[in-house]
Amino acid sequence: MATVALDHVTYIYGAGTPYEIKALDDVSLTVKSGTITGIIGHTGSGKSTMVQLLNGLEKPLSGKILLDGEDIWAKPKEMQKIRFRVGLVMQYPEYQLFEETVRADIAFGPKNMGLSDEEIEARVKDAAAFVGLDETLLNVSPFDLSGGQKRRAAIAGVMAMRPEVLVLDEPAAGLDPRGRDGILAGIRNYAAATGSTVIVVSHSMEDMAAFCDEIIVLAHAKVFLSGTRDEVFSHADALSSVGLDVPQITHLMSALRRRGLDVPEGIYTVEAAKEALRPLLE
Amino acid sequence: MKKMENRTNPENFIHAADLRCSYRDENGNRQEILHGVSFDVARGEYVAILGHNGSGKSTLAKLINGILEPDGGTLVVAGKDLASPDVTDDDIYELRRQVGMVFQNPDNQLVATLVEEDVAFGPENLGVPTAEIRQRVDAALATVGMTDYARHEPHRLSGGQKQRVAIAGILAMEPSCMILDEATAMLDPAGRREVLSTVERLNREKGITLITITHYMNEAAHADRVIVLNDGKILLEGTPAEVFAEPEKLMAAGLDVPQCTALVHGLRASGAALEGEPVTIEECADLICRAWEEKRHGDRRA
Repeated sequence: MATVALDHVTYIYGAGTPYEIKALDDVSLTVKSGTITGIIGHTGSGKSTMVQLLNGLEKPLSGKILLDGEDIWAKPKEMQKIRFRVGLVMQYPEYQLFEETVRADIAFGPKNMGLSDEEIEARVKDAAAFVGLDETLLNVSPFDLSGGQKRRAAIAGVMAMRPEVLVLDEPAAGLDPRGRDGILAGIRNYAAATGSTVIVVSHSMEDMAAFCDEIIVLAHAKVFLSGTRDEVFSHADALSSVGLDVPQITHLMSALRRRGLDVPEGIYTVEAAKEALRPLLE
Repeated sequence: MKKMENRTNPENFIHAADLRCSYRDENGNRQEILHGVSFDVARGEYVAILGHNGSGKSTLAKLINGILEPDGGTLVVAGKDLASPDVTDDDIYELRRQVGMVFQNPDNQLVATLVEEDVAFGPENLGVPTAEIRQRVDAALATVGMTDYARHEPHRLSGGQKQRVAIAGILAMEPSCMILDEATAMLDPAGRREVLSTVERLNREKGITLITITHYMNEAAHADRVIVLNDGKILLEGTPAEVFAEPEKLMAAGLDVPQCTALVHGLRASGAALEGEPVTIEECADLICRAWEEKRHGDRRA
């Protein structure tokens, strides 16, 4: 189980040109080990930059990315090892499928790690199981899969490396509700089975509320809020001031309070709302 | 489910009857995507189309603006029968002027180096006189609230701003219909609100027929009517309240209901006396509040 932290990290696109954009401005934060942590923020808030910094795809202009307290850029030649430990699933990862079979695609990462054939096969099967991809699909071409299945295969390819930190940038974007639930359940399975730390970027407040232990809010290249899910979503006005929101169900609870119903604050899921309202209506 | 009065009337803006469409896969075999779909959309109507990935939603959208051709059935859009062999290229160009599409990825649909040039792209291609292009571009940017960005570079805008520029580009062609194909999927909550409130206002104030394809159930709740596609067929059709009253059917089709609706169904299942099908936050709050007051009065009498 690994702890990831940013220590005074600044990242600027086009630094020194007239077009420079500060993507992260002196950001320090720690992602709690073994948690599912959500990162939310308006477009351009620095979310995607941050996830690309976490596994060394981008290098901070200043500051450090720490994995278990060690600067991941201390030995740049060993960056590949860092990338095995911090697995990144980028946006629309299904566009990166390229092998002839789903099995070969999922095996690509473990193969690069130099694992034995048996270990690779075991990891491929485990990864497919985590994301709910039927074993019979391992022998077909990834290009014959449906959109949702392709997404699962691509995520399984990163899970097969058993990263201690799994980072996913908008893993459910563009999927229908069932596809979205399947992907989120797969990520939860992986976290439960491996104890890995999971970091998820999303624009869906409803998904984040149902899924995350901790939430980090980025706004204008800085950390705007961070804490447990309940702490963060209790700041509805602050979230809305930076282009974000609370789940629809939370808005409903506020509307009920305005009408005089005695419902508690801090309700972020449909299940919690049901529990709170049942005694008032039965 | 109730059928709309205007159903299967070729006078409607869109009239589809037993519409079929197929693709050829890489082995040359025909794969039918739409298996005989019938529906109408009246001028000025606001229709949301829901369906799982691969259900045929985007195929339907591409048929409506002539990117794809029907393989069978009838499809009349703006008075043109698109299934007829007599359709000319000019008919298709006119169709694309009238039916503008906004796609999912804001980065894939802006072509020019300045916002105003991007908006001018459509009318320039239509051969509109220069002075009129200027007027149309200015009016379109004002309508979507992007006047201040006319001379900005599109790639430096936020996702919501880019989508609004794409909408302005369509407006400058004076369309009668806009189709948003998951145009809010990549946006943050503020961006989603920006885009939706812009197109809903155009629908209300300018009478532009609006078709939104979405995976966000609470966006579909805004529409006049919802059409649910499942495996290339229409599964449900009706007002949002009618459609979201069928959570089991929607779930079986890989979909969902808005959180508010899910809550009301859940409370009703455990015995709460809640009548009606609220789909918005306010409707739902009113319903729960009424039930709560009735119960309080009832308790007091008892």
